[in-house]
Order: sequence, then structure tokens, then C-alpha cells
Amino acid sequence: MIVCVAVVGHQNNPLYIQSFTDADDALKLHHIVHCSLDVVDERVNNPKKSGPPLNETFLGLLYPTENYKVYGYLTNTKVKFILVTTNLDVRDADVRNFFRRFHAAYVDAVSNPFHVPGKKITSRTFAERVSTIVKSFGLSSAG
Amino acid sequence: MIGVGKIKQYSNILDKPLSKGKQEVSLSAFAFLFSELVQYNQTQVDNIAELERRLEDAGYAVGARVLELLCHRDKGNRRETRLLGILSFVHSTVWKVLFGKVADSLEKGTEHEDEYMISEKELLVNKFISIPKDMGTFNCGAFVAGIVRGVLDGAGFPAVVTAHFVPMEGQQRPRTTILIKFAEEVLRREARLG
Repeated sequence: MIVCVAVVGHQNNPLYIQSFTDADDALKLHHIVHCSLDVVDERVNNPKKSGPPLNETFLGLLYPTENYKVYGYLTNTKVKFILVTTNLDVRDADVRNFFRRFHAAYVDAVSNPFHVPGKKITSRTFAERVSTIVKSFGLSSAG
Repeated sequence: MIGVGKIKQYSNILDKPLSKGKQEVSLSAFAFLFSELVQYNQTQVDNIAELERRLEDAGYAVGARVLELLCHRDKGNRRETRLLGILSFVHSTVWKVLFGKVADSLEKGTEHEDEYMISEKELLVNKFISIPKDMGTFNCGAFVAGIVRGVLDGAGFPAVVTAHFVPMEGQQRPRTTILIKFAEEVLRREARLG
């Protein structure tokens, strides 16, 4: 179950935050996303010798908290996608697939000539596509 | 890409091949649109420098979006961190997507460490434009310079990019050169990366 997705710009400014459950406190989810940005920066600036190479896009599991898992993805323009999920047994391939489709939706939203880079994404089409992708993520990983 | 797909006329629209992925735009459509862009900006400004800046800003918006799009389409994507990497990306991939061919040449400037030049014999945007004498050194390639600046800025390499005419002996029309001057921090980072 995905609880939250976020798009964060290259100066760590939020571009899009959407949570998908009413049960949990939205503020707590925002806080988790904010903390995970530190982990992203650490991964980018100090690559571990055995970790992924310096310029890989998918960052993998950032850190597990008590009942959430946080995944990260970095694009060429230093825009970060953060995914918070409660599933305990998510497969790596599923998350990669999710980020690929999310990236496609993001590129389409940014190609809008009325979108100002650095401002929040206000496109309704983008929000609808994201909720479709989130719903299908839950279904595919259950089977 | 611009300038392709205009010649063939199909008698029946059902015979046209289905295109997927890369779109083709007719050269004349682009030329009309670009000429209108230049004319519109000309009525809004008082001097040449302002006109050049406006064209460059228009190109900057295009460049930022082209970078996002290309990085997503390129399946085995790696984020470019080296100077030569991003320059060859601009020189081949970006040029191929926009104009259908790679740029003519990429050179390193001899006078300064931080200058690089991409030259083109005949820039596609300038193909149907002739500059009147009283406009001096104005070059509509400022639009392409803006695109390059947008791509470099988005990738994390701030630079000043300008377009110049370079006269060549033996040829009627001068060659166009896009001059890229990187900011200080880019050179320092490059030196640190070794």
C-alpha cells in the first residue's frame, strides 16, 4: 500500500506531495519525506565503494522506519521522487517499474509551456495519472 | 525533428505509416512560426540586445524541457557529471533530436580554459533569415544558444552561451558558432573530480 509520493526539486523545494490514506497524519508523512532528502543527499555526495555507481537514477531503499519503507529516485536534473509504502514485501522490480511510469508522467507535466520550473505542479492530469499508477502498483505486487 | 517528412504525399490517409515515438515537424511550419516569434519580439523591444535576450529566454524554456524528455527516453540513463560528457550529449543527442543530425563540430577554445564552441555550417533556424545591415551583429541563433543554456543549466553546469557569425573564406554565408563559457564553479568541480 503506497501511502505517499513526493516530487522534490533540485533545491529541495517541494513540487508535488500527495498522500493516499486518510488514516495517517499527513504531517507525519511530510516529515518522513523531508528526512529522506538527507539520505538522498548523502548517497549522492558520498558514494559507498560497494554501492551503486555515482550516476545511477534509482537509489533504492533509503531507510526503513517502524512501519514504512522509503524509496528514492533521482533524475538528471537533480529532481527527486520519493515513495513511502507500508508493504513489507515489495519487489525491487515493482518499484523500478513504478518510478519509470512516474517519471513519464512527470516529464509530460513539465513539458507544459505554462508550467514554471521551480513552482508546484498544479496540473490535474498529472494528479489523475499519479493516482492511476498508485492504484495499479498495489494490484500488481499483490499477485 | 524539423525538416523531415514534408515531401511525400500519400493519396490515401490510410496508407500513411503509423508513427510512434519520434515526431516529425515540417520545416516550413517551423520557419513560419519562428519568423512570427522574431517579429512579435521585435515590436516589443527597443534595442537589439533586448531582442537577443528574449529569444534566448524562449530557447531556455525549450532546453530545460528537452533535457527532461531526453533523459527519460534514454533507457540506460546515467546522470552526466563530467564536462566532456555533457558537451558530447548536447553535441550529438540534443542536436539529433532537434535538427535530425549531429552538430558539425565541437572545439575547445584556445584562449580561455572555460570556453567551448559548437559550430554549424548553416544553422537550421537561420536558413530562411537574412539580417539587415543596420542590425549589426544580431544573430537569430540566439534561440539555439538559449536551448543549449537551458540544457546545461538543468544538468547542473551553469554557463553563458552566445551565438556568433564566423565568416569563412570561399563560402558565401558565414558559419555559425555557439560559444559556451562555463561558470567558475563548474571548472573547480571538474578539477576536483580529476
